[in-house]
Amino acid sequence: MSTPKNKMLVCDVMLSKDRVPVVQEEEILKEALEEMGRTRLGLVCIIDANHKLLGILTEGDIRRKLLKVQKPFSAFLVDDALEHSIRTPTTIRPDDTLEHVVDVMGQRQIWDLPVVNDGGVLLGLLHLHPAVQTLLGRIE
Amino acid sequence: MKKHILEVGYGSVSKVRIGDRLPLAFIGGPCAIESREHAFMMAEKIGEICRRVGIPWIYKSCYDKDCRSAPDSYHGLGVNEGLRILADIRDEFGVPVVSDFSDPAWGPATGEVCDMVQVPAYLCRQTSVLRAAAQTGRPIHLKKGQFMSPWNMKNSVRKIEAAGNHQILLADRGTFFGYNMLVNDFTCLPIMAKTGYPVCFDATHSIQLPTSMGNISGGQREFIPFLVRAAAACGINALFMETHNDPDNAMSDANTVLNIKHLENILGQAKAAHEFRLEMLDKYGEDNVHPEK
Repeated sequence: MSTPKNKMLVCDVMLSKDRVPVVQEEEILKEALEEMGRTRLGLVCIIDANHKLLGILTEGDIRRKLLKVQKPFSAFLVDDALEHSIRTPTTIRPDDTLEHVVDVMGQRQIWDLPVVNDGGVLLGLLHLHPAVQTLLGRIE
Repeated sequence: MKKHILEVGYGSVSKVRIGDRLPLAFIGGPCAIESREHAFMMAEKIGEICRRVGIPWIYKSCYDKDCRSAPDSYHGLGVNEGLRILADIRDEFGVPVVSDFSDPAWGPATGEVCDMVQVPAYLCRQTSVLRAAAQTGRPIHLKKGQFMSPWNMKNSVRKIEAAGNHQILLADRGTFFGYNMLVNDFTCLPIMAKTGYPVCFDATHSIQLPTSMGNISGGQREFIPFLVRAAAACGINALFMETHNDPDNAMSDANTVLNIKHLENILGQAKAAHEFRLEMLDKYGEDNVHPEK
């Protein structure tokens, strides 16, 4: 018997960590952008050596920075990615309900939510599209 | 950002701590070791001056100048004899010593004797040299290449860190402005300081006109005091200057070394500017004019 849609959890739908764009804290912006390009998610998670989530960097952050940062492009690209990231991103837990976190996405106008455990370790990522498709019953 | 503090000196020498709001340190001496007698005479004279000024110092002199402009330019006494002299200067004067090295094979011997090892500016991105410097386990004086942007020095820093060494002093010695000409972009200093490592200003090489005289380099020594005051006011943790008792007859960098008769004057000004900068930071707070803050 399949789980009712309103009882489905984040861990049922989230992208596993190997599918999430991730860079280490000392990696530079250029490397983060390359990692971002590996998937089509438009963001990258920045973690420490213990896989704790330190920040996230989105295409929107880069867009805003391009208009604001006046340093030479070569200097911008060699900055630590972490320096330009959001340090306190909204995160969710694997046992949160899908319905609840899709509401959070709607309220905050965000498409992706990093999934962490109680220690802040990155476990995966919930992307809006598979979450909504699952709730609509198009993905089992 | 973690601010690193370097401690230069092992054994019985007077240790010099460099970084953050610590007193300005001086790194200096004749460019090349010319002879045992000359090296000792210079160490004694510089030591007296530094004591009078009240500035901690590290004796610098190189045993092999591998970047000279001409094949017959003086190279130095070589690694064995040069390091013996530096070791004896440590023992005699209790001062930490630094020499550069240009060949990775010289790294272990240099690190065994010297309290600090120096990576020449021309070799600042040479992985084998950086790795050899890191493996000495000593603090590293890493000069920004005249051709390098200050932000790209981070790549060299990462190479050293990857080899397990986290004691780095980053120096500006001028940036090529066309051919045979250097300029100082003082934004180099805060940009390199963003790595968390202390920064140094090399005043005597900054006034160099590289290979401007056919087969040797020229220099404009008259600008040394101006650049020193500007760098200390901008924010440095160490000042580097090569000095000589008889610059016209110096066997290396004759057109750029500071005559030792001016050393006390310049060091006094540098120390005062450094201390005034720290007072200003206390009074007005850290520099925080930034578009993103």
